[in-house]
Amino acid sequence: MMLDIRNLSIRYGAHLALDNATLNTRKGETLAILGANGAGKSSLLKAIAGIVPAAPGSSVKLDGEELLGLQPHEIVERGVIAVPEGRGVFGAMSVEENLLLGANPKRARQGELTRKSEVYDLFPRLAERRAQLVQTMSGGEQQMVAMGRALMSRPDLLLLDEPSLGLAPIVIGQMFKTLKRIKDAGLSILMVEQNVSASLKLADRGYLVEAGRIVGTGTASELKSNDAVQRAFLGGPAAPALS
Amino acid sequence: MLISTLMFGLVLGGTYALVALGLSMQYGISRIMNLAHGEFMIAAAFCAYVLFDFAGLSPLVTLLIAPLIGFGLSWLIYTVMMHPLVKRAANRGQLEADSILATFGLLFILQGIMLVVFGSDFTSYSYLNIPIDIFGVTIAVSRVVAFGLSLFLGLVLYVLITRSRWGATLRAVALSPASAPLVGIQVDKVARQAFAIGGALAASGGVLVSMFVTFSATGGVVFTMKALIVVIMGGVGNLLGALIAGLALGVIETFVTSYFDPGLSLASTYLLFIIVLLWRPQGLFGSVRS
Ligand SMILES: Nc1ncnc2c1ncn2[C@@H]1O[C@H](COP(=O)(O)OP(=O)(O)OP(=O)(O)O)[C@@H](O)[C@H]1O
Ligand SMILES: [Mg+2]
Repeated sequence: MMLDIRNLSIRYGAHLALDNATLNTRKGETLAILGANGAGKSSLLKAIAGIVPAAPGSSVKLDGEELLGLQPHEIVERGVIAVPEGRGVFGAMSVEENLLLGANPKRARQGELTRKSEVYDLFPRLAERRAQLVQTMSGGEQQMVAMGRALMSRPDLLLLDEPSLGLAPIVIGQMFKTLKRIKDAGLSILMVEQNVSASLKLADRGYLVEAGRIVGTGTASELKSNDAVQRAFLGGPAAPALS
Repeated sequence: MLISTLMFGLVLGGTYALVALGLSMQYGISRIMNLAHGEFMIAAAFCAYVLFDFAGLSPLVTLLIAPLIGFGLSWLIYTVMMHPLVKRAANRGQLEADSILATFGLLFILQGIMLVVFGSDFTSYSYLNIPIDIFGVTIAVSRVVAFGLSLFLGLVLYVLITRSRWGATLRAVALSPASAPLVGIQVDKVARQAFAIGGALAASGGVLVSMFVTFSATGGVVFTMKALIVVIMGGVGNLLGALIAGLALGVIETFVTSYFDPGLSLASTYLLFIIVLLWRPQGLFGSVRS
C-alpha cells in the first residue's frame, strides 16, 4: 500500500469540506476521485499536498510515514507532487524555466537531464516552444507545462486536479493518452475529474465524493455501470451510498 | 564638458543602480518596502570612513566586510521584525502597509544611532584621489573604481537571478508566491534571503559611494527615495531596467547640477519620477509582473 488516508477531515471555519474520508492507493495504481462541484475533491488533494491543514484525528500516510503536518516542500521531497486546479504554472517564465523549477526539489537533481528529455518526448509541443512565455500559451499547452513541471520533480505519486478543465475534446483525448503513458511508466496517479468516462477509462479504481463524504468506491468498470455515478453526473436526485 | 558630465553622472548612477537593486530585491521578492534602506547604505559609508581614517583599511577591503554585516543584520531584522508581519498579513496590501510603518520606525532608530555616534556633519575621506585622464576628462581613480565595481556587482546579480536555478526560485516567489510551494520552494526562506541580499547591496552601495561623495547621518532618506524612483522607472521586478534607470538618473542629476543649478538636482529627480508615474507607471522598460 502506498498512500493510506484515514479519517481525513478538512474544515474551513465552520464549514466541513471533507468529513472523515478514508481511502488508499496502491503502488502504480491510478485512482479517480469523482464528485459534483463543491464536494470537497480539491480540498482532499490540497490536504495531501500540505496546502490546507487537516482537522485533528486525520491521517495521511505515505508508505507508512505520516505526511500531515509536513510543509508543502517537504511533501514534494517525499515524492508527492500536485498539479492544482488552475495549473499554477509560472506564466511570466518560459517553458524551459518552468521545467528547471520543477526540478528544484533535491530529490529531482538525480537524472535531471534524462528526465527533461523524457518530458519533452512526452510533450513534443513543449520541445518546440522551449523559450515561449507560458502565459502566452493555449490552455492545453499550459496544462502540458504543468504536468511536465510536475514530472520533473521525480515523483512517485502525481496529484491531478481536473486536468481536462477548459480543454477542447480533442485536446482532452490527447491528454489522457499522455497520462496513460505516464501511468504505464509506473507512476501512481490520484486524479480528480469531472470527465467521468475518460477518467474511468484510465483509472484502476475510483471513489465517489458527495458533500464532503465518500459515498462509494469500486473498480473503474464497477463505477462506470453504477447508478449512483450516473445519477450524480446527470444531476439526478441524491444517490444512495454504495456498498 | 559634455563628456565629463556624462562620466561623472554614470559613476553616481552606478551606485544608485546598486542600491536600487537592493530595494528591488526586498520589495519585489520579500514584499517589504524598506524605508530604512538608505540608512543601511549610510551606515556602511560610515563604516568605510571609520575603518579608513582610524584603522587605515582600504574601502575595497570594507567592501568585502560591510555587505556581510548588511546581510546578517538584514537577516536578523527580517526574522525578528518582518516575519511576524508576513505571517500576520492577510494579503499583499496589508504587508506593504505594515512594512512601510515598521521600517519607517527603523529608519529613525538607525538614523538616531548614527546621529549620536557621528553627529550631523557631512563626512568624507580621501581615498585614491588620484586624477587620471579618460577620453580627455580628468577624473579621480576612486570614481572609476567605484563605477567599475558597481557595474560588476550589478551585472553579477543580474546574471545569477536570470540564469541560475536559484535565481529562478527567487523570480518564482516574486511572480507567483502561491505557486512556488508546488515545486518545493520555501517562500519564507527565499523572502528572507532576498531581504538579506538587499541589505548587502545597500551596504555595498554605501561603501562605494563613500569613496567619492560626502555623506551625513541624515542622508539616507534621499538615497531611499532615489532608489525607489529607480525601481519604478526600471519597472518593478525588472533588474536590468533598474540598472539602466539608475545610470540614467545619475546622468540626469549631474547634467542638471552642472548646466542649471545644483539646487535643482533633487527637484529634477522628482519631476522625472512624476512624469514616469503618470506616463508609464509600469516603468520605462516594463514590469516583469503583468
Ligand atoms: N479556502 C476556503 N475557505 C472556505 N471555504 C472553502 C475554501 N476552499 C473550499 N471551500 C469550500 O469547501 C467546499 C469544497 O471545496 P472544494 O474546492 O474542495 O470542492 P471541489 O469538489 O473541488 O469542487 P469543484 O468541482 O467545483 O472544484 C466548497 O463548499 C467550498 O466552498
Ligand atoms: Mg475542485
